[in-house]
Amino acid sequence: MTVPRTVQDEHLRLLDDPQEWPQFSQADPAQDDCWTSSVVFEGMHCAACAISIEDALRQVPGVKSVQVSAASHRGRVVWSAQQTKPSLWMQASAAAGYKAVPANDAHAHERRRQVARRMVWRVAVAGLCMMQVMMYATPAYVAEAGDITPDMLQLLRWASWVLSLPVVLFSCTPFFSAAWHDLRGLRVGMDLPVALGMVSTFVVSSLGTFEPTGPFGAEVYFDSLTMFVFFLLMGRWMELRMREKTAGALEAVLNRLPDSVRRRTAEGAWERVSIRRLAVGDVLEVLPGEAFAGDGTLLAGQTQVDEALLTGESRPLTRQVGDAVIAGSHNLSGRVELRVEQVGAATRYAQIVALMESAAVHKPAMAELADRMAKPFLLAVLLASVGAAVAWWPQGAGHAVMVAVAVLVVTCPCALSLATPAAMLAAAGALARSGVLVRHLPALQRLAEVDTVVFDKTGTLTQDSFSVACLHLREGLREDEAWQLAERMAAHSLHPVSRAMSAQARQRRQALGQAGDVDSLPAGWVLTEYPGQGLQAHWPEPAGGQCGLRWGSAAFCDAPARVSERLQVSLADAQGWLATFELHETLRPEAVQVVSALSQQGLQVQVLSGDAEPAVAEVAASLNIDQFRGGCSPQDKLQAIQALQQAGHKVAMVGDGLNDGPVLAGADVSFALGQALALTQSRADMVLMSGRLDWLVPTWQRSRQTMRVVRQNLAWSVVYNAACVPLALLGYLPAWAAGLGMALSSLLVVLNALRLSAGLSSAAFFTTGDNRGS
Amino acid sequence: MDILFLLIPLSVALVFFILCALWWAVHRGQFEDIEAEGERILRND
Repeated sequence: MTVPRTVQDEHLRLLDDPQEWPQFSQADPAQDDCWTSSVVFEGMHCAACAISIEDALRQVPGVKSVQVSAASHRGRVVWSAQQTKPSLWMQASAAAGYKAVPANDAHAHERRRQVARRMVWRVAVAGLCMMQVMMYATPAYVAEAGDITPDMLQLLRWASWVLSLPVVLFSCTPFFSAAWHDLRGLRVGMDLPVALGMVSTFVVSSLGTFEPTGPFGAEVYFDSLTMFVFFLLMGRWMELRMREKTAGALEAVLNRLPDSVRRRTAEGAWERVSIRRLAVGDVLEVLPGEAFAGDGTLLAGQTQVDEALLTGESRPLTRQVGDAVIAGSHNLSGRVELRVEQVGAATRYAQIVALMESAAVHKPAMAELADRMAKPFLLAVLLASVGAAVAWWPQGAGHAVMVAVAVLVVTCPCALSLATPAAMLAAAGALARSGVLVRHLPALQRLAEVDTVVFDKTGTLTQDSFSVACLHLREGLREDEAWQLAERMAAHSLHPVSRAMSAQARQRRQALGQAGDVDSLPAGWVLTEYPGQGLQAHWPEPAGGQCGLRWGSAAFCDAPARVSERLQVSLADAQGWLATFELHETLRPEAVQVVSALSQQGLQVQVLSGDAEPAVAEVAASLNIDQFRGGCSPQDKLQAIQALQQAGHKVAMVGDGLNDGPVLAGADVSFALGQALALTQSRADMVLMSGRLDWLVPTWQRSRQTMRVVRQNLAWSVVYNAACVPLALLGYLPAWAAGLGMALSSLLVVLNALRLSAGLSSAAFFTTGDNRGS
Repeated sequence: MDILFLLIPLSVALVFFILCALWWAVHRGQFEDIEAEGERILRND
């Protein structure tokens, strides 16, 4: 183990304290010494850098796997605590030229700011010097022969040389250092051709300045040099800013938790402690404007919370004493006290973050292809530029070198390797802001190809509750009376049907304007529960004898036989049957619109359910779905999906994510409704965090847009390189134009991708606009 | 025209002076959060 010496190393060594690990790492539940760390890498420019980092880290003993995302500059490192320490592999990454910073570290943000500042400063130096060098170059371009004395020309060249120095020595350093690391590691990176171009232009021009009689003549190219450096830096700077914006959704979620919280001490006073000292059972005070640090229950106060980033629910939600709040949501309006029930990795927030981070580093197949193509492409560019220099040498050494420089600078493999990940990441960011989590970026590609959507029924198309479809009464009994008796009885049972009836009866009374609680049962009553049958209440009659009520199955209540496939619950008194409530499942309010929108878009919609056929038929009929199957076991569902796939269909499966794991895994792309779900256990590719179907159609549309943008980007980078390289080889492209072309090409790709980061709107599909309940 | 022999070196010096001013501005954070500064005038507090 090397001994850390500098302050930076000191800082790294702090990270070797196992207490610090959970802050940026997750322990692997299967192997207890295995940790998965999230880190941000500084100094990355393109996909080749990601590969370099991966290579460097894989060589560290104890590092089990590394995945680095070029578009977000984030990486995930799996390492063994027995064989290595974070400082060791972070040093390995730094040695390769990329500083690794723990992703959840508070320093990461500060560091980003410093990087941005240095970038602005580099651009400013290059820009200012470029303008002044241009001033000194203009006389040489416009003057007739003999207008300017030779010593004046020489003075102008010296002045240009002096002002080019800061550009070459300072503004160009990121290109030089990246190229140097590549050279030392015997690799070819994106910056190598550019750096070569800069050095050769500067050397040729310096020779022209100080040795006008030398082999390269008296011609200087300081104006071209400063200009293309400026354009390149401009492009890099824009890219940096856009990446920050694109990664914004991820960062916004990541940085959601407060650093410190106000906790109640044993004496009842409030103390401010670091979030890492938070434990389950602590009582916290959360003021308006603060974020909740853990999942918990409100003990005091009432407020509105903003869960938009976590569930996609954009409206403020009211939370009262006893309600649950989730970590990472924001307290908007009132001071509250909270008992913490989940902290750290157990919170829903941490699960979401883990999901988003794994999505950011999964490389789509198209991006991997682009990465593989980048290396031979760069080698070809180097060879082509050497060839161009040799071919043009007879026309003058200076000119030949500048043609070679133009070839080096104009090629833009960055556009090629940014094309896919930039677009997918932008789309995933936009989806995340609407509460749709994309677990694997490649899923976006598969979703775009889907032509069949298969829904599970219970909990997906329907809610987990029932409503009364129709009511049968004994002759002479009023509807109100039946409801009143039903509510009395239902209040004493925890059976789902009873709870649904309670809720319905309460709603009905509220709708009729009857306030207050329902009358309780008469004094002296005794409640008996018959499991699987129903509930009986009886009490002594004032005149003697017994009086009672029964609530439960038809047989239990001696209800007249009735042919119905629906769920029923009956009521009886001492004289016999009183009433029967027929129940049906409540459709999700948005289900009808979602299904019809999907059909309108030309997608085939099917229902596969484990429920009995008639119940499935009823739901399918109310949604206008022709193809449905009931009574399916998970195995049946999987076979049905495989049959569809064999018939050439691409299938998306939408389920509640609880019971249909294998089915979700078998579909081409799968959605889970993320309300009651242990997120990390879900096998779905995408999770609808709101637990509602609203965003299904916009997500599908966004995936199609994403693939369109990816294709545009790839086509652009191929066309651009195919057109510009020959032009440069033929000498039609001056170096400054080459720099401008390359910067604009990268920028165009990123800008095009950025169109996907616009927020999703569901309004196009739903005429009522906002039909989302809280 | 001889004055140019003085003015050109002077212009080089001037560029370095402006660079110093820019350095100060960049590292004081003058170019960060530009939108917020524009919005600040619209706020009451």
